[in-house]
Amino acid sequence: MRLATAVVLVALATVAPSFLGDYQIYLLSLTVLWAILALSMGILLGYIGEINFGQAAFVAISAYVSTLLRQDLGWSFWAAAPVALGVVVICAALVGMITMRLRGPFFVLVMLAFGEIVRLVLANWQDMTNGPLGLRNIEPPEPLFGLTFDSKLSFYYLLLTTLVVCSMAIARLVRARTGRLFIAVREDELLAEFVGIPLMRHKVIALCISAFVAGLGGLLMGPFLTVLAPNQFSVFASVDMVVMVVVGGVATIAGPILGAVFLIYVPELLSFARELRPAIMGVMLILVTLFLPGGVLGWMEPVLARLPLLRHAAKSGGKQ
Amino acid sequence: MFLQQLANGLVLGSIYALCALGFTLIYGVARVINFAYGELFMLGALITLSLMTFLQINFFVALPISMVVIAALSVLIYVATVRPVMQGPHVQALLTTTGVLYVLREVGIFFWGTAPREIVMGFKGVAEIGDVIITYQRLIAVATMVVLVVVLYLILYRLRIGKALRAVAQNRAGAEAIGLNVDRTVVFAFVVSGAMACAAGALVGVLYAAEPSMGGVPLLKAFVVVIFGGLGSLPGAIVGGLVIGLIETFTGGYISYAFKDVFTFLIMIAVLLFRPSGLFGARATT
Repeated sequence: MRLATAVVLVALATVAPSFLGDYQIYLLSLTVLWAILALSMGILLGYIGEINFGQAAFVAISAYVSTLLRQDLGWSFWAAAPVALGVVVICAALVGMITMRLRGPFFVLVMLAFGEIVRLVLANWQDMTNGPLGLRNIEPPEPLFGLTFDSKLSFYYLLLTTLVVCSMAIARLVRARTGRLFIAVREDELLAEFVGIPLMRHKVIALCISAFVAGLGGLLMGPFLTVLAPNQFSVFASVDMVVMVVVGGVATIAGPILGAVFLIYVPELLSFARELRPAIMGVMLILVTLFLPGGVLGWMEPVLARLPLLRHAAKSGGKQ
Repeated sequence: MFLQQLANGLVLGSIYALCALGFTLIYGVARVINFAYGELFMLGALITLSLMTFLQINFFVALPISMVVIAALSVLIYVATVRPVMQGPHVQALLTTTGVLYVLREVGIFFWGTAPREIVMGFKGVAEIGDVIITYQRLIAVATMVVLVVVLYLILYRLRIGKALRAVAQNRAGAEAIGLNVDRTVVFAFVVSGAMACAAGALVGVLYAAEPSMGGVPLLKAFVVVIFGGLGSLPGAIVGGLVIGLIETFTGGYISYAFKDVFTFLIMIAVLLFRPSGLFGARATT
């Protein structure tokens, strides 16, 4: 996406909440949170070409580890965060090394099993995790460098900053050598290996990066929702992320974010759609996969290209 | 205690086997993992229930009717959402069938609401065989499953279309080369798979409960069974189902009820890592 467009959107996102009520801020915050999660899935799906139905497990691990460190050991949010992220990345590396060698559907099933195992452990390890009732009364992050995060608005800015920083980092990554190696792996594994790209290493690195971003989402999820429970991290949460990426536009950075807007923000505005949301998501998933492989972004691109201010840079390939 | 657990495990295992059969059939023939399979199972249960309620008919009369309905739905799913993406990247079929999952689940909630219901088969009473206690209903359910499996085998090994199905599963290109209509064969697989799912769902509705979210667990268990027994292998689905049912019952009874599902998934992971073709599966070709 052109820099100008991105700057305009970020500016809008920064300024708008000052004029909006509490509910709207909550809604925007939720959208941004899911955008971060969708972005994490987008890294994997868009640049390695794999679906991870266990992605919610990475979110859960980060959320629970950070919250337990804070609640049981009294750590500050800012001390717990790196530890939680470290745990997630290590888990991802271990899981990745074991599973990345599996072909297509087998990888999907193992990651699904991994996700379920994490959820079941969280739901049943009563002593540690309080079981199905989960963790409650999660406090906002402690003040840092004079910034407080108690209010909904300030937390929204924290979320937004995280999203923007992640997007920028991933954009850098994609343009850099590592990113192009990922794309090579995605396009043709055999050829990539043939020209000397260490396949396993790059797939595992991609999984770790994806898990890291998911972990960031998990860190922020606790204080935002104030409650964490295992049923928030089911397969369906991971599927939600997949839908956002596919509908928004795979292999782009704006795509997952757009997908989050479509699937979180828009349905809330159309109140009748609230109950039907899963059905609408299902239909969109089918239609987009069958008819719009590039997602909404891919579909909109020729139209937007005509508008001088919003001209998009051509994406390489643009396919999943 | 051991014999009781054995009996319980076998009942559970036969349910799992029935769930897995339809699932593995589709994978064998179309190389597609049908994420919507659990929802066919669920709709089978609910439609059977409604037929019994509104037409005032017996379970065994309602079941064949609902099997036809679900079989038709299964074919619709194939034609609309699986066939267009079957030959492409595997991810696409996963995405479309997941979409169907969501849609069907909403249909279930919309028409039947979220409260669990019981399907009444009508057999009361309990049999006592030695130390083992088992309800007549469970025995009849298991007997029904056995009948269905036998019918399935007869179809696959006696009828011409069944042989065509096995041919396509073994070698699609070869089957096409000798003139088999692959598409029709796959349609037939979806028909049979749908009917199996419906029957399994209805029986689970009898033994436990019927409600719109009941499709999630059987889907996951079907994955485990099918991986364990070998993707695409029918004996694998049956043996795998029974074994997994037994393992789950015994780990639940003797080790920990809460973590029994964790064991089951760990087994699946172990199988995928060390013997991906499963017990009966063919050695993987590219």
